Amino acid sequence: MIKFFPNILAALVLGFVTLSASANGDIHIQDPWVQAAPPGVKVLAAYLEIKNNGKKQQVLTGVSSPAFGQIEMHRSVIHGNMAHMEHLKELAIPPNTSVVMQPGGLHLMLMNAKKPLNAGDQLPMTLIFGSGEKIAITATVRSGKTEGTEDHRHMDHSGHGEHNH
Amino acid sequence: MKNQRGVLTRKSLAILLIAAVAIVVAAAAFIGFRSNSDTVVKPPEEIEDYLFWEAKELTDFKLIGADNKTLELDDLKGKWSFIFFGYIHCPDVCPLTMGILGQAFKLIEKNPAAYQDIQGVFVSVDPKRDTPELLKEYASYFSNKFTGVTGDTAQVDAFSRQMSALYTIHPKEAQASEDNYLVTHNSTVFLIDPQGRLYGRFPPPQLTQEIAEVFIKIRTFYNERVKK
Repeated sequence: MIKFFPNILAALVLGFVTLSASANGDIHIQDPWVQAAPPGVKVLAAYLEIKNNGKKQQVLTGVSSPAFGQIEMHRSVIHGNMAHMEHLKELAIPPNTSVVMQPGGLHLMLMNAKKPLNAGDQLPMTLIFGSGEKIAITATVRSGKTEGTEDHRHMDHSGHGEHNH
Repeated sequence: MKNQRGVLTRKSLAILLIAAVAIVVAAAAFIGFRSNSDTVVKPPEEIEDYLFWEAKELTDFKLIGADNKTLELDDLKGKWSFIFFGYIHCPDVCPLTMGILGQAFKLIEKNPAAYQDIQGVFVSVDPKRDTPELLKEYASYFSNKFTGVTGDTAQVDAFSRQMSALYTIHPKEAQASEDNYLVTHNSTVFLIDPQGRLYGRFPPPQLTQEIAEVFIKIRTFYNERVKK
């Protein structure tokens, strides 16, 4: 852990990465960000990485933010060139596993934005876990990393979380 | 006939000769036609997968943009058009694809002649929520090369079906309110050539560099071998 600290600190200072953790340190939330969108857009997406360093499975059951009317967990699925979104009621993060939300896959669907958002805006959000634990994070609005989509191309969606209908 | 053997022979020789010449001319014309047709000229391997086996002529359509402007087949002619079907309430795949296309246009800009030739069209399959004014703002956010259009269901279908770009609107599917519904849509980027024919496609997941490089090659191939 110790050796990561300078990086985290540097990232925090640079403002690129924000990191929040659960009280017992088992869950770490990294780099939460919101895809910047044209001013009239009321539905946006947020991405982040959830690391579960603990020995127990963690389940993300909900997300809230004063900046949005409602937030849901979704997964984009492209099958035979047809894109659709699956609504996930919860998202499991197995022990010693990291679940990455990124464009073209898992994301938080942010609905009914209360005001137009601009790149650089900082949005508070609260992640609620099945254990009852809540983690407060701050997501930064920024333009997408379209150059980073190699990951998205090779990403295996099957291993991430459970989805319940 | 039997009495005019010599005359007949000369006549039949002439007919044979004319027939032979006709066959040669027809064959030459046929070969010439074939080599001018893009349906037969084999495209370079690196762009082959992106091209339709045969460019498909589109029939006229009418889509509605902001400021009472319409988009019809004639508006696609003379340009290379990148077509994407989506909807504004799509938070993930649509901005991702539109962002990639916008970045690809920036890369294409390094080739000014090619850049001059391109336009992007975002077609909303969700006219209930996406007004032409919203679509203008949305599309131009990703690139000033983009136009945003929609239409009533019949108008959208008249265009989308020519690309077999299916979509499904899921009303109120496990959603909190009537205005929060999901849409399944084809996330291919379609490429229409300057003759207004469906020429190529970039299936998902798209990459910025890939779109820009492949498009430049397609355009070169087309200009050298296909253009009438």
